[in-house]
Amino acid sequence: MKIADLLKRHQKTSLDVEEELRFHIEMLEHKYLQQGMSAAAAKAAALQRFGNLEIVKRRCVTISRRSSPLRRVLKILSILVAVTGLAIHILSSDPKIAHVGDTLIMIAISGRLLLYVRGLSSSTIKQIRLDTAPDQEKPECS
Amino acid sequence: MASERTDLMQGTLELLILNTLARESMHGYGIVQRIHEAAEDLLKVEDGSLYPALYRMEERGWIKSEWGVSENNRRAKFYKLTRTGQKQLEAQRANWNRISKAVTRILQAT
Repeated sequence: MKIADLLKRHQKTSLDVEEELRFHIEMLEHKYLQQGMSAAAAKAAALQRFGNLEIVKRRCVTISRRSSPLRRVLKILSILVAVTGLAIHILSSDPKIAHVGDTLIMIAISGRLLLYVRGLSSSTIKQIRLDTAPDQEKPECS
Repeated sequence: MASERTDLMQGTLELLILNTLARESMHGYGIVQRIHEAAEDLLKVEDGSLYPALYRMEERGWIKSEWGVSENNRRAKFYKLTRTGQKQLEAQRANWNRISKAVTRILQAT
């Protein structure tokens, strides 16, 4: 898979999540309409039953991107860069070239750290939200 | 009836989803409907809470998703259980039985 495809897929995640959640809400609306509710009442009831759409969407996009192919590729790339840097550092007798190896290792570690912190911050924020959210938002378990 | 609804215990939603998907692949709406029907509306499950759980379970490899066409000809995402998910279901079911047995014994003893 090309990097451009991976990027496209990364951007598509948000749209896919939105489509999936919209489908659910529209199915609920349809059900309430069949039960005799007015269009406005059915829509309101569907949204109420679903819960906070924006929060749910954000959580899904975060989780989905966390395990996206692009993220996996970046992780593998960071390992390759680190290994290359280490090899240059060990095999090179010239201190200048060895310094290039050190730089590569630093880049790889920084990149990996960035990926980790991004994943960590989203889950930490999620946890804070769960802890502070009113009761209706808490059933999002695991 | 609504006032008698019980909140789900932490982690229970995953067990219910796995159990529901053990029968057939389904979209999110179908899963929630099946859970509500089976629980006869005694459990309080906010529909939206299902999706983060589904995405996490897919991340762990317990379920797999693919886009398909729903019963009303709409594009919908369908989830199905993987082999890892099947094993997870068995493990979680056994765990649930152990916990429920233990709690029942404690309640009967006191």
